[in-house]
Amino acid sequence: MSREATRVVVTGVGVISPLGAGLADFEQRLYAGESAVRPSAQFSGATTAEVTAELTTWLGNKGVRVLDRTARLLSVATHLALCDAGIERPTEDGPEIGLVYGTMFGSMRSITSFDWTSVTEGPSYVSPMEFPNTVISSPGGQAAIKYGLRGVNSTICAGPAAALHALNIAAEFIRFGRAGAILAGGAEELCQEALYSFQHRGLLSPRGVARPFATDRDGTALGEGSALWMLESEDGAAARGRAPSVEILGFGESQDSQTTAECAAEAMRQALANSQISPDQVACIIAAASGSPTVDDAEARALFAVFNDDVPVCAPKATFGEAMGASGAFSAIVGALALHRQTLAPTPGATGAGLLSPEARKIAGDYAMINAASYDGNFASLIVRAWSGPGGNETSHAGI
Amino acid sequence: MERVVITGVGVVSPVGSGKDQFWHALLTGKSGIGPVRSFDTSAYPVHIGAEVHDFEPAPYFKRLDPTGICRASQMAVAAARMALADAGLERLPEDRRRVGVSMGTTSGEAECIEHYNDARKESGDLAKAGPALAAYPSHMIPRHVAIELDLHGPCVMIPAACAAGNFAVGYGLDAIRMGRADMMISGGADRFTRIPYTGFARLGAIAPERCQPFDRNRKGMVPGEGAAAIVLERREAALGRGARIYAEILGYGVSCDSHHMTAAHPQGDGAIRAMQAAMRESGVTIDNIDYISAHGTGTPTNDRVEAMAVKTLFGERAGKVPMSSIKSMLGHTMGAASAIEAVACALALASGWVPPTINHEIPDEDCTLDFVPNKAREIGPRVLLNNAYAFGGNNASVCLKRYEA
Repeated sequence: MSREATRVVVTGVGVISPLGAGLADFEQRLYAGESAVRPSAQFSGATTAEVTAELTTWLGNKGVRVLDRTARLLSVATHLALCDAGIERPTEDGPEIGLVYGTMFGSMRSITSFDWTSVTEGPSYVSPMEFPNTVISSPGGQAAIKYGLRGVNSTICAGPAAALHALNIAAEFIRFGRAGAILAGGAEELCQEALYSFQHRGLLSPRGVARPFATDRDGTALGEGSALWMLESEDGAAARGRAPSVEILGFGESQDSQTTAECAAEAMRQALANSQISPDQVACIIAAASGSPTVDDAEARALFAVFNDDVPVCAPKATFGEAMGASGAFSAIVGALALHRQTLAPTPGATGAGLLSPEARKIAGDYAMINAASYDGNFASLIVRAWSGPGGNETSHAGI
Repeated sequence: MERVVITGVGVVSPVGSGKDQFWHALLTGKSGIGPVRSFDTSAYPVHIGAEVHDFEPAPYFKRLDPTGICRASQMAVAAARMALADAGLERLPEDRRRVGVSMGTTSGEAECIEHYNDARKESGDLAKAGPALAAYPSHMIPRHVAIELDLHGPCVMIPAACAAGNFAVGYGLDAIRMGRADMMISGGADRFTRIPYTGFARLGAIAPERCQPFDRNRKGMVPGEGAAAIVLERREAALGRGARIYAEILGYGVSCDSHHMTAAHPQGDGAIRAMQAAMRESGVTIDNIDYISAHGTGTPTNDRVEAMAVKTLFGERAGKVPMSSIKSMLGHTMGAASAIEAVACALALASGWVPPTINHEIPDEDCTLDFVPNKAREIGPRVLLNNAYAFGGNNASVCLKRYEA
């Protein structure tokens, strides 16, 4: 990313998470140090962080029955983000708006259920109406139809790092001049199949806790939800009279056959280099850490290798769990909130020793680094900057 | 802007694997469609498919154990390794952080879901079936390619259904142009499974005997499987290492119909916008386009809309631009389709020949373009479009140009 490139800014946010619906609930419960991770009423024996809001509140009932849960979560985030960005339902003559979101499992629940009918009752008993939901990209297509999104529509899979990839891909589309406005982030539903997939890769905490970086960590707990940012070119936002909150800067990613400290450090260094900033300019870090013995260890060692020991770190998966495809988008909001308030959110359950704090902390600076990791060797870092305008100091709370 | 070229191609397909076998089959109009062998189709109203029968994964694996990963990953790894060998890259560049992978798919490793459901049905115990799901996440397809080939650069899966290959190629182009990679291996992979077969059968979309894109008597598409990968690199780097260059990728365009999950926009709105965007980014106009690689699945409605979109956009020039569908031979290889078509396009630009639309016997008054019926033709195309359309109303067009020194 070159400094001369089009600047990509955030002018709206939509979030539906285990912390509630909308930014206000997310912010309030995040800063109160709450954790939404608790024994599941829905999935026997599992500890999860679930979205409890009634989704039809935003979606209405028309045409909703056919949407699976991932599509509903993504649609709620789309609705909230469009409203927050001050965009009425896009029209066919208006500018194209895109949708680029990350997901880990996509339509897994729908595809399993579709196939189950075929296996147990026979292929002639499945509903052809349900077939479109089986393609991994179906939530994006459904949200596009519901909200009139005619621009790029792209689903990105990179495990729990997917949403950060999606934010960067959307930003690159805008820098290229290929799009003016894109909703970008992530979406994932919690389902039994996702729980099995994590469980049988040995990634879930047997004790049912999510304690990032803790010495006694033994795995993670799954969350769910969706969050989208409205990304626009600086000029596009100005033309609409929208004051951005933050700006998307550089991205970095690296992979190996498993997540190593070198791999994590490489992603962070690339993000810094692509943002043309030094480590000491970073005001806070939103960690990928989820309670995984190996991945948390790699991230911690990379943080010590790249940054000073005293850089403030928050690990918000202690709050909303490992929300898979949505994780990176939730974390990006945590980073933007920290910059806006100049206060980093607490990490519930942290002891205060080591990287994290159970209390909110003052920070100073304009740059936040957001990290994300898959559990199979992909590590991603994205840097966002508090928006200061081309020359002035105009800032906004909109779209944090 | 960096100029990006294709220097290697790899393909696993129902008409044969490897560049030479594949291209010979296409130019001679060979069909890869036959009775389904992967599963029992007696409960279905249709019984044909386009499966890959001669694929043996072991020779393509040096690091990973191919028996431990699913078939879509196996085919993706094979295509990627073939593409690297074809590019003369048995030895990869030293800095593996600068070499990445992007892949597309429709169903990913859907066989995991099928194993899970089969085990559930057999044992009646959900928990016993659970382990089958560990390998499901579709991003493992490009991860397996990256791990097998020891590549540490950008790595994503873009599961844009039946347009996924073009999305993955577009991503590869961008990763190089944005300076995030020097070289990308981009493509797509899908295996033949009962899930899409069931769905397409229930939609009444599968042809009973053969695939006849744009023919008046076309009766539907034929599900298939396969994988393809192309090696993309900066033109200067390719020239520097004396690589053979098949073609240059000029740009791409994407759009969403925002209309219906399975039906194309009735006026082809999104398809037109994707072609326009691809040409705009590539700095070419309709007058420069010499050939179109059609999506051309063979379903009555989609083919009609696709032909209409080209007519609308190309106007009087429409009938003068040959447009063929290799799905007539390969069936619809889903997320691999537009990646396999990208290989065919690269070979067309390099050889001057374009493949035919086979089984094309009776022209349809709704589709009156030059579909290169039944016989390959030497037209020496200089610039072409590779079009792909998908569920969810996703459209993607990639613009390729013959390499000229």
